[in-house]
Amino acid sequence: MTAVSDATTRARTRALSTDRRLLIAVLVLCALGIGVAGYLTYVHYAGLKVLCLSSGGCETVQASRWAKLDGIPVSVLGLIGYIGILGSLAIRTELGRAAGFAIALIGFGFSMYLTYRELFTIKAICQWCVGSAVLMTLLAVVTAARFLRDDGLAE
Amino acid sequence: MASRTKQKEQARAQRLAEEQARQQRESRQRRVRLLGGVILAAVAVVAVAIAISASSGGGGTHGLQTGAKSTKLVSQVTSLLSGIPQSGATLGNPKAPVTMTYYGDLQCPVCQQFTLDGGFPQLVANDVHAGKVKVVYRAFETATQSPQTFSTQQVAALAAGKQNHFWDYVELFYRQQGAEGSGYVTDGYLNGLARQVPGLNLSAWSAARNDPALSSQIPSDNQAGRAAGVQGTPTLVFKGPKGQAVAPTGVPNYSDLQSAIKQVS
Repeated sequence: MTAVSDATTRARTRALSTDRRLLIAVLVLCALGIGVAGYLTYVHYAGLKVLCLSSGGCETVQASRWAKLDGIPVSVLGLIGYIGILGSLAIRTELGRAAGFAIALIGFGFSMYLTYRELFTIKAICQWCVGSAVLMTLLAVVTAARFLRDDGLAE
Repeated sequence: MASRTKQKEQARAQRLAEEQARQQRESRQRRVRLLGGVILAAVAVVAVAIAISASSGGGGTHGLQTGAKSTKLVSQVTSLLSGIPQSGATLGNPKAPVTMTYYGDLQCPVCQQFTLDGGFPQLVANDVHAGKVKVVYRAFETATQSPQTFSTQQVAALAAGKQNHFWDYVELFYRQQGAEGSGYVTDGYLNGLARQVPGLNLSAWSAARNDPALSSQIPSDNQAGRAAGVQGTPTLVFKGPKGQAVAPTGVPNYSDLQSAIKQVS
């Protein structure tokens, strides 16, 4: 009985440790995402030029009609997405984890579509947008792992 | 006695293990159902977002806009061209050291893409605005499937050019380009665009549409294009103190245009 209980405790400690690492990964990725999307939102509303490594790529993408969804800058949608994933961490239930994964999955899907538009329609690359797409992809993977690994860790 | 206690403990442990296994099974099943729901919901949201983006984003299937949408487009064009001199089909300082000749067809979707999403807006905002580059539009028939319509739409733009509003007209045309081959270019469409151009005298514009000098400009532009080796639109030919360069075909971005400018200046 004691042996069973010890094994259970060890497994739970390991699970908690992995879950903490995944939680930290989500926090870091969200912070980076908020930085990227926040910067793009700021330059959009401040009317500033985007700092860009490739000549004109970012501005061409930002000036394109794909940079807005029904009039809303996609950087604002990205910002809302990152904040939403961050907010889902506060809901310590299985549903909270599912919500975080759902938002990340939506962000990943739409980022892939926008990257396709950059490559094949606009034919210009904005590093900030690619950076955000990479962050959303990583967030989709990490939030999926948190959701699927949830062995009774959620309250 | 000891044996009965042990048996009881074993039975209890077994019950506990079974209960745990049942709970884990149920939890896994619930999570799989939730996972399915999450994936379905995410796919639905992304599909809706893509549909909205595709319908409002591009594809050249808009046609003439009215109301708030029209006001928004006019304000975009005014903001892009504000402070830049225009003369006929030329945009920019007439003394600019570099000239970009833009061979285009107003119904060509790739021209639309270049003008709205390619390197063109930035070229106008930076180099043309600064007086380093001027742009001259030359008509070259590609996408328009009727030579008569091609001439009519180009003359309509050139007629706006007589009042130094050629580029306002062209920008508004590209922003409201209809589906290729749908026959959207009618008199109503061309008049509608003219009504959107701020400050355009409509009766003078209508009169200028009958100017034979403007209609004779179209075959002359086409011929100049063929002589320059133009095969498709948009074709962008740069001329400057160091000679001539042609930008890559398709939808050149701003860096492509910059390279061509560098080569000739």
